Amino acid sequence: MKQVMNSVSLLGVCLASILVASGVRAEDKLDALSKSEDNWVMAGKNYSANHFSTLTQINTENVKTLRPAWSFSTGLLSGHEGAPLIVDGKMYIHTSFPNNTFALSLDDPTRILWQDKPKQPATARAVACCDIVNRGLAYWPGDDKSPPLIVKTLLEGTVSALNANTGELVWKIENSDYKVGSTLTVAPHIYKDKVLIGSSGAELGVRGYMTAYDVRNGEQKWRAYATGPDSDLLIGDAFNKANPHYGQKGLGTATWEGDAWKIGGGTNWGWFAYDPGTNLVYYGTGNPAPWNETMRPGDNKWSMTIFGRDLDTGEAKFGYQKTPHDEWDYAGVNVMMLSEQKDQNGKLRKLLTHPDRNGIVYTLDRTDGTLVSANKIDDTVNEFKRVDLKSGLPIRDPEYGTRMDHLAKDICPSAMGYHNQGFDSYDPNKELFFMGINHICMDWEPFMLPYRAGQFFVGATLSMYPGPKGDRQKYEGLGQVKAYNAITGKFKWEKMERFAVWGGTVATAGNLVFYGTLDGFIKARNSDTGELLWKFKLPSGVIGYPIVYQHKGAEYVAINYGVGGWPGVGLVFDLQDPTAGLGAVGAFKQLANYTQMGGGVMVFSLNGKGPYDDPNLGEYSAN
Amino acid sequence: MQHAKYAFYVAVAVCLAPIGAAHAYDGANCKAPGNCWEPKPGFPEKIAGSKYDPKHDPKEIAKQQASIDSMEARNAKRVAHFKKSGKWVFDVDKIPE
Repeated sequence: MKQVMNSVSLLGVCLASILVASGVRAEDKLDALSKSEDNWVMAGKNYSANHFSTLTQINTENVKTLRPAWSFSTGLLSGHEGAPLIVDGKMYIHTSFPNNTFALSLDDPTRILWQDKPKQPATARAVACCDIVNRGLAYWPGDDKSPPLIVKTLLEGTVSALNANTGELVWKIENSDYKVGSTLTVAPHIYKDKVLIGSSGAELGVRGYMTAYDVRNGEQKWRAYATGPDSDLLIGDAFNKANPHYGQKGLGTATWEGDAWKIGGGTNWGWFAYDPGTNLVYYGTGNPAPWNETMRPGDNKWSMTIFGRDLDTGEAKFGYQKTPHDEWDYAGVNVMMLSEQKDQNGKLRKLLTHPDRNGIVYTLDRTDGTLVSANKIDDTVNEFKRVDLKSGLPIRDPEYGTRMDHLAKDICPSAMGYHNQGFDSYDPNKELFFMGINHICMDWEPFMLPYRAGQFFVGATLSMYPGPKGDRQKYEGLGQVKAYNAITGKFKWEKMERFAVWGGTVATAGNLVFYGTLDGFIKARNSDTGELLWKFKLPSGVIGYPIVYQHKGAEYVAINYGVGGWPGVGLVFDLQDPTAGLGAVGAFKQLANYTQMGGGVMVFSLNGKGPYDDPNLGEYSAN
Repeated sequence: MQHAKYAFYVAVAVCLAPIGAAHAYDGANCKAPGNCWEPKPGFPEKIAGSKYDPKHDPKEIAKQQASIDSMEARNAKRVAHFKKSGKWVFDVDKIPE
């Protein structure tokens, strides 16, 4: 009898595991959708966040015939970051504040299928540090209980989920409170059935946190802070086991004086990646607050950190702090791109590569956080002499540090970083990363200031200008595009750009790399050589990234236009003082001679082939 | 001999002095793993009571957590009602008890 019982329970366990396994597969419909070139279902294109398309219809031979197929104005100005999503024959478009959403049919973009226009308090605009931008939407394919969803963040701090077919609200929760300076510009990232939401507001002393919600109903599953007690950080016994020298327990308070960690920054408003194999989510935390380093002695952990967290529990498996005790606002939120490559010993490794604001491109083993390489994005980086791979510590050059009662000069990179929020790409065949880079240096002097919740808490005056390879008289030559190998550390090619390449890149198997520029072009370069093969003059500058998809046999490239973001604040808010806009106004004083504000999407194809090849499409007819 | 010894000490002092003074914070001297901060030359180890004391108001720095706690409480009510009724009500005052 006992044996029978045991067999029965064993059978039960087997059945349960089969059910669980199939359940996991069902949840990964999103992963499956991302593998079709008909779709662009998430920021990053796929869980690996490589922005690589296998499409070859548009290639180095014919890219010269790329022409606009159709376009759409969002009806709003200010910076248009991120990119539309493409799924199920529809394009989903998002905007700057007040964060409207539009759904269009790829077959006939004439009529807007649905639109969501949130009502938000205008005062939320006043606490946005760097223009009223938003980095995009997330899509979830639905299940038998819930319709497919479009999930979006609003500047005021709420997160809403809309029925992807109708635009109707399914749920809406409060993640951040603009009244304490906490806003949302980050794109939601959906992995399996979790929505991950970052945070913004380190310039107003906001202590950063990452939150996971159940995509079906908005229920909070976990919340992990960037500073404070280990219980708030979700740091357990397994944290940094493979690399104890990175630091382990107690450092979220021990590397601060007193309660300063409570207003310590570390918000994460950049991009994430996910590996279903490790079940870890990868992202970087931002800068500590305030910018005045003298007001926060200590390493200020765990700001400026590359985290690997379990998707289901939020528990941190590893955390590597790139910039201990930041003195330059090198907010460590930049893009994470996953790859599998052989290291210098010939060992195949699962990697993540991350070009940081601080001028270093980091490559870590994404299973345990071990450093594989840390190379300068440009040889003009001077605040760190190098990164010691063994200790993981950056060796600082004290000459380029900042401190009270001192005007530091010629620091490279500037606070805008040698890389900012742009979402770059990785070609797995060529094993090359295509990075949009900034070439901006700065002078910096801090000042004392009090903290008042809801008010700016920066405490530094900056002047920014082109780096050594740019033109410091004309204020041009503020950007670069480079092709980089993370194992050898070598750049296959490097090209200068007039302005910072702010929006990121996309690579294709057609041997092309596409990107937009602040002076209003979409460009295509040969991904082997960097040769400029094609460009088109858009209505306004670009701070988002291009996407590539196919629809009914034709390959399309789409991109948001609408200049803004941090580099555009002078132009957007009509500022003249070169130190205004946290120092960006001076650096980008030439931008207004090349572009003005805009807001919309342009879609390109070979010879402009598209839905309106038949001019009768979308025409009014009496019956 | 005495002079030579004196000269030697002077030489040692001269050589060491700049090293001491130039021992600026380079991030490589760690008190513990993950804890490598040092004050810069002329700056204090602790800023409390110094001329750089930020004098944070405990009431101000408690505001963020209070705000998050109340948002979490409101969200929990919204989700509970949604799970029960299938209807999303954002305004918690309109959620039936």
